[in-house]
Amino acid sequence: MKKLTYRNRYKIPVVLLTLALLFVMLFPFFVMLSTMFKGSTEIYVRPPYWIPKTFAFGNFVKVWSEYHLFGYFMNSLLVGLGTTALNSIIIIPAAYAIARFRFRGRSFALYSLLAMQMFSPVIIIISLFRIYVKLNLLDKLGGLILANTVITLSFTTWLMFGYFASIPKEIEDAARIDGCTRMGTLTRIMIPIAAPGLVTAMIYTFIQAWNDFLFPLSFINAQKKMPLTLGIYQFVGRWSTQWEMLNVAAFIALIPVLVLFFIIEKQLVAGLAGGAVKG
Amino acid sequence: MKKAFLVMVLVALLATTTLFAAGQQEAAKPKVTVFWALYDGLTEEYRQNLQDAFMKEYPNIELDIVPIPWDQVYDKLTTSLAGGNPPELSVIGTRWILELLALDAVEPVDKWVSKTTLDNIFDGTKEAFINGQLWGLPVAAGARILAINNTLTKKVPATMEEMRTEALRIKNATGKYGLIMPGKKHTELTDFAYYLYSAGGDFFEINADGSYGKCIINNAAGVKALTYMVDVANKDKSVPAGYLSQTRMESHPVFYAGDAGYVMIGAWVDSALKQAGASFDVTYAQIPPFAGAKPAPLVITDSIAIFSGAKNKKEAGLFLDFFYRDEWKAKFDELIGFPPVTKSAATLPQFQSPLYQALNEAAAVAKPWPLIEGFAEMSDVIWDAVSMAYLGQKTPKQALDDAAKQVDAIKATYE
Amino acid sequence: MKHLPTHRLTADAKMAYALIAPAALFIAVFMLYPVFYVIMMSLFKTNKLGILQQWVWFDNFTRLMKDPVFWQVTGRSLLWTAIAVIVKTVVGMIIALCLNVEFAGRKFARMLFIIPWASSVPISAMLWKWVYDHEFGLLNHTLTLLGISNPPVWLGMPTWSFVACIWVDIWIGIPFMALVFLAGMQSVSRDLYESAEVDGVNAPQKFFFITIPCIKQIVFIATLLSSLWTFNDFNTIYILTRGGPAGATDILITSIYKNGFEWLRFSDAAVMAVVTFIILMVFALVYARTYFRGGDDAL
Repeated sequence: MKKLTYRNRYKIPVVLLTLALLFVMLFPFFVMLSTMFKGSTEIYVRPPYWIPKTFAFGNFVKVWSEYHLFGYFMNSLLVGLGTTALNSIIIIPAAYAIARFRFRGRSFALYSLLAMQMFSPVIIIISLFRIYVKLNLLDKLGGLILANTVITLSFTTWLMFGYFASIPKEIEDAARIDGCTRMGTLTRIMIPIAAPGLVTAMIYTFIQAWNDFLFPLSFINAQKKMPLTLGIYQFVGRWSTQWEMLNVAAFIALIPVLVLFFIIEKQLVAGLAGGAVKG
Repeated sequence: MKKAFLVMVLVALLATTTLFAAGQQEAAKPKVTVFWALYDGLTEEYRQNLQDAFMKEYPNIELDIVPIPWDQVYDKLTTSLAGGNPPELSVIGTRWILELLALDAVEPVDKWVSKTTLDNIFDGTKEAFINGQLWGLPVAAGARILAINNTLTKKVPATMEEMRTEALRIKNATGKYGLIMPGKKHTELTDFAYYLYSAGGDFFEINADGSYGKCIINNAAGVKALTYMVDVANKDKSVPAGYLSQTRMESHPVFYAGDAGYVMIGAWVDSALKQAGASFDVTYAQIPPFAGAKPAPLVITDSIAIFSGAKNKKEAGLFLDFFYRDEWKAKFDELIGFPPVTKSAATLPQFQSPLYQALNEAAAVAKPWPLIEGFAEMSDVIWDAVSMAYLGQKTPKQALDDAAKQVDAIKATYE
Repeated sequence: MKHLPTHRLTADAKMAYALIAPAALFIAVFMLYPVFYVIMMSLFKTNKLGILQQWVWFDNFTRLMKDPVFWQVTGRSLLWTAIAVIVKTVVGMIIALCLNVEFAGRKFARMLFIIPWASSVPISAMLWKWVYDHEFGLLNHTLTLLGISNPPVWLGMPTWSFVACIWVDIWIGIPFMALVFLAGMQSVSRDLYESAEVDGVNAPQKFFFITIPCIKQIVFIATLLSSLWTFNDFNTIYILTRGGPAGATDILITSIYKNGFEWLRFSDAAVMAVVTFIILMVFALVYARTYFRGGDDAL
């Protein structure tokens, strides 16, 4: 009985607090929902108002047909997925090695992973640009995939390392006694057990690539290769910004990631905590 | 174990080479990349049509017109230059040309563009003519004018002082704003320049040999200009309440919305008003001088330059010839609302309206930016000084004294 | 990594190096080389294209050290990071605590809290710019409706600009914190709480004596990462204010960009980058040492 009263006493204030926090956190999206239905002459009106007068659904058609939004969207998606794939291929063996093998330079490797969180794209971009010119990687989605992989590599390796390290050695030993090779244990035992961590690492990577702004700003010229973050800037003219279109584009850009998040939400959360705890 | 090592190295190599291989294809046709600054009014449709039409006429050239918001053009250009991979062509603020010349980054355009095209361009707009050569074709050249919302006022001010009085009256009588005043730093120093030039001031003194001397923004005229700006904004409060958070681009919509009496603006105002669906009448007049000074509106030219580090300069020249035909360039001028730079387009009927008359009148007495290296950094410094004066952190005199010193120091690093 | 003579390498070590090789290769080419070049630029006189011209030892450093603006920017970076990380942690913790209580719609609320995280950072910053707009934006309009007659000019006044920018950074970072903390809390055994309740322990006591010790490690790691990310948050400020007004929101990372790409002073930018490395390195080492001293032997 005591337990129940405990819960009940806090329930109402907690719900109210949650609602208040939600209101604050979602405020820009309320503004987005209001703005994206406004007609182009309803944007620069003083004082502004919340409920659009016309509900211009045409904005959605326009952003899709006139502004190549689909192309930007696909580019963002390709870069996101490409980065996620390349990143996973590279980090799994590295993280496994650091977690399971004793070798010279192991703690150096661990510290380096941490240290590399400090290097922002702003700092490496000039040299990266020169390398890209030599390797003919400018204006290529591949170039963006590579750059984002480099930036996400350290955190995701760290995360996976935490996961692998948390798996009891006995499980692996048992498998090896049964005749499994080292590679076999990795693919057949370790990876499946560490799946939540891997999912988290993949999501993290995807989000980073999806958010990326500075790399495409510097490396991409061709409109056909622009991701959403850059493409959305075409609504910012020299003399005014078409906010209604920008908000429509922002909304469309948000939906797929949101759906993805909702689907894997549970695993994502567990993964983040798991990796961190053991890390 | 050795095997495992080899496998891993192979995987790594494979991953990288596939990435690079993906990069190696294409490149069969010579490619012309154009950094295309996004003027307001310039439609995506126009860009696309221009690109398609050119490639249709020159099927063996690939043209990529890259739309870039104005605020990012400079950054993007410097990155690509520093990276050693400039575009063939870029729209630039003509004042950047000295910087680019110092880097050996640009080519004389007269080397690559046909004589017909060159002769068709008004000599007066060729601001990028330096050391006997033309380093960029003028793409948009326009003096700044004063636009007046006739619903709020009919008064065409003859002096800055008159404008201030009328702006205050508008605010008190209608509760709307008298004058637009962008108070947030953006890439150009236009707003301070309007007042500075109208007060008879200038950025630098001119030496006997024509070169630039000391920075003189802190002389009597400069201080007068900045004091005026601060007073109108903070004493009269006849400017938009949020002026400190507005760059030029963010402040003009207030005028388009019909909520301000005066705005100092460029030729695009007409198209911008149309786009905003404005329903009030507008008069176009000259930016007034301060009492006792001569009118000197700011004129801004943007140019299109060919980069020496680019691969396909000949093709770039072909594109310029194509673009400067009336069919395309006049349409471009009309869309962005700038007076034409070509002789053949100037006679077209669409360029004979009152707006263009006002612009031509302004052009006769207008004054350009100083052409000096490091101006990007200098105008940043001056902008900060203006902000500090607005915020009351420094008096106009102090702010400009400090800024002048810094500007001189920046200038010294280039000598 | 130092290599021992081959014959002394164990099979394990060989395999380990092989497995790490691809990652190491990537990092060396695309990360360490650029960072190395930045360090070189800070020790050289460079031209406007960032090409090294003349070795000048620490001249660039001494010159910048004399500039009061540099110290202001550095100080502001530290302040920015401290405030942002603390608020993110506190608000994230509050949200996690709320969501850890069972109520109808809890799952739905959790999903809604994810939304800001799912939105791309540059796009979010653009949205906020529109929200903050003083003339046409709905935030100040709504504040006025609620009776606040003179809402601040968010992106115009120095202090308010700083507040506005830091809030956007915080807002972006809160969902990550909240979700990680929540996951930590949910992994704490129910039994602990239940036995505590039997002993008559109240809620704050439960929080401080059970929850916090159990999720200490998570908090450590999350705040460490958040500090590194926040210190280097470029997109928010670049899009909202570009460091203005009059430098009031300029932090190291935006200043690096401004010096390098707008003023073409690559050596100055490089010096600031090196200072950034040093600050973050010291911070991370101190932080990590404190953490791992109490923890397992992972490092």
